[in-house]
Amino acid sequence: MSRSIISTKRRQILKTLGAGGALSATGLLSIPAYAKNKPLRIGILAPRTGVAATIGECGIRAVEWGVARLNAQGGIGGRKVELVIQEETSPKETIDRYRKLILQDQVDTIHGVMSSGVSLALAPLAEQSKTVTMLWDGTTQDGVKEMVPYPKYLFKAAGNEVDAVMASLQAVKLYGGQIKNIAGVNVDYTYGRTTWTTFLAILKKFGIEPNIVSEQWVKIGTMDLTSNIAVLKAAKPDLIFSSMFFADLPIFMQQAHNAGLTENAKFVLPVGGVQQTALKKQFTPEGLILGHSTFYFDDKEGSQLQKEFVKWYVDKYKEHPHFEAERAYFCLAMYKAGVEKALSAKPNAWPSSSEVAQAIPGNKVESLGGIGYMRPDHIPNQTFYQGLSTHKNDYDFVTLGSVNKMSAEIIQKPAELEYWDWLDKADFKVEVGRPKGSFVQKKG
Amino acid sequence: MNTSITTIDNSVKSPVQSRKGIGGKIVLISFIVAFALAPQVIGHYYITLLIPFFAYAITLLGFNLLFGYGGLLSFGHALFVAVGAYAAATLALNTGMVSFELMLCAAVGAALIIATPIAILASRYTGIFFGMLTLAFGMLFYTFLNKFYDITGGDGGLMLPRPTLLGVNFESANNFEFLAGPFYYYCLVLVLLLGWIMWRVVHSPYGLHLMASRDNAVKATYLGVKVREVRAIAFIVSALYGAIGGVILGVNTGLADPELAYWVNSGYLVFMTVLGGYHEFIGPVIGALVFILLQDELSTVTQHWRFFLGVVLAVLVIALPGGISGGFRSAIHRVRTKGAR
Amino acid sequence: MSSILNILLAGVFHAATLFLVTAGLQLIFGVQRILNLACGSIYALGAYVGITLTTWALANGLPPYLFPLVLLVAGLVSGLIGIPLERLIRSVYRRPEAFQLLLTFSLILIFQDVIWFFWGAEPQQLSNLTMTYGTISVMGVTMPTYNIMLIAVAVLFAIGLNYYLNATRSGKILRATAENHETGAAMAIDVKRVYVWVFTLGTTLGTLGGALVIPTTAATLQMGVELVVEAFAVIVLGGLGSMKGAIVGALIVGVIRAIALFVYPEVEVLAIYAIVLAVLIWKPSGLYGKVEA
Repeated sequence: MSRSIISTKRRQILKTLGAGGALSATGLLSIPAYAKNKPLRIGILAPRTGVAATIGECGIRAVEWGVARLNAQGGIGGRKVELVIQEETSPKETIDRYRKLILQDQVDTIHGVMSSGVSLALAPLAEQSKTVTMLWDGTTQDGVKEMVPYPKYLFKAAGNEVDAVMASLQAVKLYGGQIKNIAGVNVDYTYGRTTWTTFLAILKKFGIEPNIVSEQWVKIGTMDLTSNIAVLKAAKPDLIFSSMFFADLPIFMQQAHNAGLTENAKFVLPVGGVQQTALKKQFTPEGLILGHSTFYFDDKEGSQLQKEFVKWYVDKYKEHPHFEAERAYFCLAMYKAGVEKALSAKPNAWPSSSEVAQAIPGNKVESLGGIGYMRPDHIPNQTFYQGLSTHKNDYDFVTLGSVNKMSAEIIQKPAELEYWDWLDKADFKVEVGRPKGSFVQKKG
Repeated sequence: MNTSITTIDNSVKSPVQSRKGIGGKIVLISFIVAFALAPQVIGHYYITLLIPFFAYAITLLGFNLLFGYGGLLSFGHALFVAVGAYAAATLALNTGMVSFELMLCAAVGAALIIATPIAILASRYTGIFFGMLTLAFGMLFYTFLNKFYDITGGDGGLMLPRPTLLGVNFESANNFEFLAGPFYYYCLVLVLLLGWIMWRVVHSPYGLHLMASRDNAVKATYLGVKVREVRAIAFIVSALYGAIGGVILGVNTGLADPELAYWVNSGYLVFMTVLGGYHEFIGPVIGALVFILLQDELSTVTQHWRFFLGVVLAVLVIALPGGISGGFRSAIHRVRTKGAR
Repeated sequence: MSSILNILLAGVFHAATLFLVTAGLQLIFGVQRILNLACGSIYALGAYVGITLTTWALANGLPPYLFPLVLLVAGLVSGLIGIPLERLIRSVYRRPEAFQLLLTFSLILIFQDVIWFFWGAEPQQLSNLTMTYGTISVMGVTMPTYNIMLIAVAVLFAIGLNYYLNATRSGKILRATAENHETGAAMAIDVKRVYVWVFTLGTTLGTLGGALVIPTTAATLQMGVELVVEAFAVIVLGGLGSMKGAIVGALIVGVIRAIALFVYPEVEVLAIYAIVLAVLIWKPSGLYGKVEA
């Protein structure tokens, strides 16, 4: 529960504010009256059409849930929260909408954004407009693409590559020494390339130099993967790595299964969990390394908050939420914590953006996927979930048999180091696995 | 034999007859004054909306040379907008130079190099083939931008830092102040300047040759017009204008990204031109303004703004082919003839 | 050896799906000289309607092995949209091509939001119905039987269309109208009715294609816009207005793509463009198109 994180003093303030600010009438703990009546506006920029639409939509739903819940408890600092939602499309259009949110809709903060292109363009703008901007996604750790390195107002998302790091480590741990022929089927854009290179780099780090029998680059949005599958079959890999997570992934698994690939090869899908409901048991084997990023809906050890959210989501949308929901909620919670911390420091006036921005790092906040916090360099530390797929559940799709959790403290690069450098030198405390028996046997 | 390939609807007047008598001059001056005073009167947000308007105005002035005056419909014009933005970004990235003037030069240079071979090739064709060829080139460039991420930054694109204007550095101003202030006026002057140049071009003998080759290519050839050459030049000039527009767009966004070249954006360029009326010199500029405002208003009201834009386009094509300016001209014509009775 | 065959077969499969998109496009252009930019959107419509109808039918007790019939019905029914569409496009028949292109472009925008409105932004799929018929193994090549069926359907379409256009009276009337609609009218052909028929037929070919192919892929909102690019590659290669061109063009694109994936995956898309440009430079009317600059 969020209460446990907040100190007694703050809880009292919140209580009074939430209780309609009775104390404010006495002038003891007053916020300016206009601020109380004027709602706090949060601008949201997320994809609603296009390949990332469903992913963006999941985030939007989560933030709507989060806001409704917040408002029922009094809002943020006693002010009700309002969402102004705009579509994230191309960088040009999204930047125009960002400016619109600030200049016309006069939002207090902007959350969202999933594409790296938009993030790149947004970074300097966020800093100059002095608007607290919290990104859900689209952050890359690759230095060449580094946005503003020491931002004041911009808060980035967990690095794109973290999922790939975790999945690669798992692969090393489980299959390590026996990996001989590998194939990569990734989407042809920055994310696809960085994740594949990460995988290769980690294999190399542990002394594994496999034979790359097929390296495929799928055009974004392509749904016809028959040729790709045919080529894979010809290549006969032992292990297939794919960072696909759009609708192309279930199609790929389906066709891979039809072609018999799922019997003979191991699959490593660092962000495959996003498509969990579409990965039906019929064609998705057990034993896949499946990543769910910062949120796994079926975590039996999950918090009350998570269970409450998942139940609401499933009831309302007949679907299961994935990590983008967590990212959206996390940003909301972080922002709330920052505002309230700034407010408690100077209770008589609503904090400026700068004060809020300074108050955000360091607060440990409960998000849907566990406790997380923002580092001083404005990159979050969260928990990442991965495991092996299993059929032992009541759904028609696969879930995780055993869940591994890893903190970003281990698998995300620290501020001072360059990404590839850090990857090379970090000690992940993982041992190269040497599975007994035939490498290609299915795991239960 | 399909004779409609090179002719336009004869029921609407062609641009060469547009008169710029005293009425026209008044309109022009009021346009300039209105835009010059706008930043004092209108809020920051709408001013920042006007920057893409300036960019598109320039791009479309060039596009309409090819389409309205030349009769050639290009469905890949967004290619040159992208070229402009990427040229500017590449310059800044590789040399660290952020002079806006240099960026414009780089854009024009790049557009010249890329447009010339395409122009030579495409000038052989008209109509659908021309459209298809340009669409193909546009998408080829789009694919290139996405693929060669070492050079182009891939899908993330290349950052375009804030330029210096005439050597002056505006670092202290924030984004809105820069865009709504010095950059706004610079672009306004640029639009007027490039508009004036285009006006001279279409009213020159070259312009006459171009229109002649549009109206009847065979007859024009007999009259000694070098049809292919004339078309190629129109293509190149329109490309240069497009690239300049692209630099402005790139500065506005702060990024040069592949989406700029996507073929649907080429379609929007045509949309804007027809919306404003391609028979009038000023038509496309009006179209750009109306399109931008329309899209802005629609997206505030509904997430299904594409639907309404599509309907507007359909209605335009079916009922109002002369666009807004065509509508004005018929209205003025009707008033004039009524008065004459 | 069998892997090469496998790859080629995958290429042929992709060619079959491309043919189904472009056949209607070619037919309409061949007779009416209208290039329908919304061909991809129509294909998408067929796909979405196919999914909805099939899901409903299956939920109401339809035995799974009958699903292709439902898709067939879905394709035919959604093809009827061609009638009102033709009525709309009729208003620009006599206008310059630019306007026709623009009108069909506006249809793309309209269709995308209509589909978004009714079906949502989530990509839709028919979970693994393709395996209803299992797989076929011939000469070491394994493929889902449904994929082979699709190839057969495409071939049937091609043969059927060919027969129709060349051997039936109705088809000959179509070709006559294509050649010269004024002469056709002079010979008492009701050109208006021919146009309605052709446009609807062309549209139905598109929706049928979308419906039949959907079990092997997913329906997305961007389908319509993205397919146009590949469709264009096909018709540029094959030649505008030629059915034979659609077949050959589709085969070239499909097979080249498959081979590129095998040999040098990086250039997959660029290889197609390179060929398209080469054809446009050397023979702009395409392999089977009529010269018309």
